[in-house]
Amino acid sequence: MASDRQGAMVELRGLEKSFGSYKVLDGISGAVNKGEVIVVCGPSGSGKSTMIRTINRLEEIDGGSIIVDSRDIHDKAYDINTLRSKIGFVFQQYNLFPHLSALQNVTLSPIKVAKMPKAEAADLAAHLLEKVGLKDKINAMPANLSGGQQQRVAIARALAQNASVMLLDEPTSALDPEMVGEVLQVIQKLAEEGMTMMVVTHEMGFASKAADVVWFMDQGRIIEKAKPEAFFNNPTHPRLQKFLSDLLH
Amino acid sequence: MLGFLEKYGLFYLTGGWPASEIGGFAGTLILAGVGLAVCFPLAILIGLARTSQRHAFFISATIWVYALRGIPLLMVLLWSYFLLPELTGHSFTPFTTAMAAIIVYESAFMAEIVRAGIQGLPKGQMEAARSIGLGYWQAMREVILPQALVNMIPSFVNQFVSTVKATSIVYIIGVSELTFVAQQINNVEVGNPIRTYVVLAFFYFIPCWGLSLLSRKIEHSIKARQSSAAAVR
Repeated sequence: MASDRQGAMVELRGLEKSFGSYKVLDGISGAVNKGEVIVVCGPSGSGKSTMIRTINRLEEIDGGSIIVDSRDIHDKAYDINTLRSKIGFVFQQYNLFPHLSALQNVTLSPIKVAKMPKAEAADLAAHLLEKVGLKDKINAMPANLSGGQQQRVAIARALAQNASVMLLDEPTSALDPEMVGEVLQVIQKLAEEGMTMMVVTHEMGFASKAADVVWFMDQGRIIEKAKPEAFFNNPTHPRLQKFLSDLLH
Repeated sequence: MLGFLEKYGLFYLTGGWPASEIGGFAGTLILAGVGLAVCFPLAILIGLARTSQRHAFFISATIWVYALRGIPLLMVLLWSYFLLPELTGHSFTPFTTAMAAIIVYESAFMAEIVRAGIQGLPKGQMEAARSIGLGYWQAMREVILPQALVNMIPSFVNQFVSTVKATSIVYIIGVSELTFVAQQINNVEVGNPIRTYVVLAFFYFIPCWGLSLLSRKIEHSIKARQSSAAAVR
């Protein structure tokens, strides 16, 4: 088992988690290799968000273990802030800091966590904001940005951590339809550049284009893992077949 | 009336100062103002403890807040007056005693304002702050408190108003604040207590009314800013 996971950036081993008597994660295992893009989909309540949030310990697990960049993240000697600085996390609700400008949102982690000199952090942030197409919004406050722009700033903020893996939790679900495209483009560009990513999304078009592997979750379990082509054209599990046909209608 | 104000105006304003400790209206403002200023960092710590996941902090802060909110300021004042010298072996001036009582008492109310301000922010703010690698204190300092404190301003102003009024009680241990001064004037001007106490009322009413207006204004401007922020979203 271990041999085919030599290049694993993130490895989930038998994750278990319950909210009261409700089992939200029921033996989740899987690996994300370096440079790989995993898209996670499934009906709401299937545990997708909870799973992705356990990887940077926004949620704790009741059982199992998680390895990120060859270290057990629950190791007591492993500082949680160090762990989190290695993982970029993008939220459904963007969660930009509204009292800080786009630039300040992006420079906060480099300055405070990586202890980068301010000028250097500003250069980095300007570069990243340009990369997500917001060169002219550097000094804008979040309230004056559209949802799509806010989410792109949030992606730049996560990239500024120089993280080894990016986790995106339904990054386009809160957006107006006409803004979904601009955000997905940015994510896809990252994928092409070889960023290791795990994306929870309902955007099946994006999944088929950008994913290396698609995971389908239902009731706290991963019930199908497949390359996009097989995933969409030859789904084996009846639950997935129903999910896909529901999406089409 | 004018003659009365001419005669006692300064006494109302500053008490026996400079011959003795500053008092009167100034004393009242100092008690409330300095009291709340000293109280402020204390209240932030207690308020943070009230939102803490750590049981020891949460429980001690909760006991502190509930105990103090459940008793009158007068009682805290009497305790300070009799207990403080007993406990420390020093004697304190009435002013210091009153100040200590106000700081302790108000810390409970201010802490609750801090707690509400922190809990009023979306949960995602703390999650995002921690996700970029900030520690708890960094996240508080850089992300949570700068936002929460702005939202707390109207409540702080209201608390200041209520503290200004509450300080009147400390005349009972001989602090020469505004009410005490009026009491002294009344002892001289025995014939006209109504005049003396109407003037006293105005001294309390004017600043409190002004501050209430200010607080309403701040509240409106914060609301306007938040809704314009929401509209863009």
